[in-house]
Amino acid sequence: MSDSNATTPTLRPPTAKVPLFSFGRVWTIAGSTVTQLVRMKTFYFLLAFALVVVAVGNFNIPTTPAKELSMIKKVSFGTMDLFAWLFAIVSTALLIPRDLEDRTLYTILSKPVRRIEYLVGKLGGVLFVVGVSLLAMYAICAVMIYAREINFVGAEFEAMKADSRYTQEEIAEQLSLIQVQGLRAELGIAVLASFLKASVVAVVTIFISTFASSSLFTIIVSVLLFLIGHAHTMATNFWLHESDSNLFVQMLVKVVKILIPNYQLFSFSEGVVQGEAINYAVVSQMGMLTGGYLVVFLLLSLLVFVDKEF
Amino acid sequence: MAGLALFGVIREPIEDKLRVRLVESNLLLPPPGQTAMEQMSQSTLIGTLGGLRSLIAVFLTLEAYEHFGNKDWEQLSQTYAIITNLEPRDEEHWVSWIWHIGINATANMEIDTRLPEFERKRRFFAYALEAVKIAENGIKQIPESSVIRMQLAEVYREKLKDNCATSRVYGETIGLTGALPFVERFHGYFMARCDGKEQEAYDYLTALYREGERNHLPTLIVEIKKLEKFLNIPVPQRIPDADPDRRPQKSSSKKPAPNQIPGGIIIP
Repeated sequence: MSDSNATTPTLRPPTAKVPLFSFGRVWTIAGSTVTQLVRMKTFYFLLAFALVVVAVGNFNIPTTPAKELSMIKKVSFGTMDLFAWLFAIVSTALLIPRDLEDRTLYTILSKPVRRIEYLVGKLGGVLFVVGVSLLAMYAICAVMIYAREINFVGAEFEAMKADSRYTQEEIAEQLSLIQVQGLRAELGIAVLASFLKASVVAVVTIFISTFASSSLFTIIVSVLLFLIGHAHTMATNFWLHESDSNLFVQMLVKVVKILIPNYQLFSFSEGVVQGEAINYAVVSQMGMLTGGYLVVFLLLSLLVFVDKEF
Repeated sequence: MAGLALFGVIREPIEDKLRVRLVESNLLLPPPGQTAMEQMSQSTLIGTLGGLRSLIAVFLTLEAYEHFGNKDWEQLSQTYAIITNLEPRDEEHWVSWIWHIGINATANMEIDTRLPEFERKRRFFAYALEAVKIAENGIKQIPESSVIRMQLAEVYREKLKDNCATSRVYGETIGLTGALPFVERFHGYFMARCDGKEQEAYDYLTALYREGERNHLPTLIVEIKKLEKFLNIPVPQRIPDADPDRRPQKSSSKKPAPNQIPGGIIIP
């Protein structure tokens, strides 16, 4: 009797019930994801970005100051957008397979960590790094835009002041034309637009990576989905026009529109960068749509991930 | 899959409405036209599909600048056709396109001795008229643009020498955002040179003159003086200013410098 007691240890009753969802655990996983991404030297791309911005800031083609500022903004924000979505795809596609390779995933899931917490933590980590990168890139291009704007405004003011033909009103008008293309608070919305797009791209990539067999597959499929998601409005119009709205084509188009996210909607940073007035109601609706994508795709990822045997 | 489809069915009408609202507020660009797509190279097309329209437009602007350097006006025009299709709301692209074709290409035709004179003349007018067409398309895309109109007016003024059209375009520019104050005066100056519009121009310019001292500029006074003479305005109704062109030169009482030769040229 005493022997049997010695071989089977008595289990202690749990001191506290493990909660269904814990932000603390999500935070820990997100933190470790950030560390993992930082160790991959991901922030080095900021150097490349700075080079692009400095290069475009010194093109010196004979054009108006307003156009030069507009070019700096377009290249900077276009590159930011590119870096954001590409980074979102690659980093998200690498994370789960790497955890599997390193066997970190087994350690994590053997603890009282829910799979949804793991997925939310991973996504949170990626989005944090994307957000920080976007802010850093914004700071770099803001410095360049501001420096060039000050330079242009000063030179234009001196030139017009020296010429007695111009009135104060005309000088002010001309300077305002340059300042419109300069650094404005609204450009922050363009950064937000890139972040929203990167968020949707990241969550879709997480969904793909839950059933994908390799990182390469995830990256390729995600990039293809990104391209299709950008083009399907254009393709829809074209196909429907070409086929005289044939029923089969209509159904096919519907299926594509239903299954693949419309990434083109998230390209509204281009309008903001061009200096269009911002419709904040629409921007907030875009934020809500992004929230919808995040929730739904995380749940879909969970449905696949929960059945996965490790 | 069912979940994905269900979400798609729910979000599709929402996204369609959002898309319309984004396009209406000019935050989202409508897809480029089919003609522009056909003219794009493979990489440009992929970049455009990948949501890099602004970036592609900037690179094409640099390419257009190269065509400008080579005086390859046809290629330049084709490149700008794609650029303006990619970013139809950017007035700077339209202005550059009009400036290149309406001012630079026409100027090149005036001096390009490799071409026979009749061909240069033909191309000069062809380019100037192409610039007018480009400007009209630009105005259709951005009806509130003052800079496109100012560039169009320059083509009419400097190349086509069409005073009536110049005056009309400057007139359309008045009051638009970003319109420089000189357009009000230029509208009147060119109206004064448009046959049959002399009385209207006189009324307009004298109204500007009466607005205050700030408008008592030499050109305005000269134009009014010319119109007063042309319209036989009674002397008491004429403006009191002297014709700036006839103002007597002040005789200089200064002795010429010892190193100054007749004609005022100074020998160092």
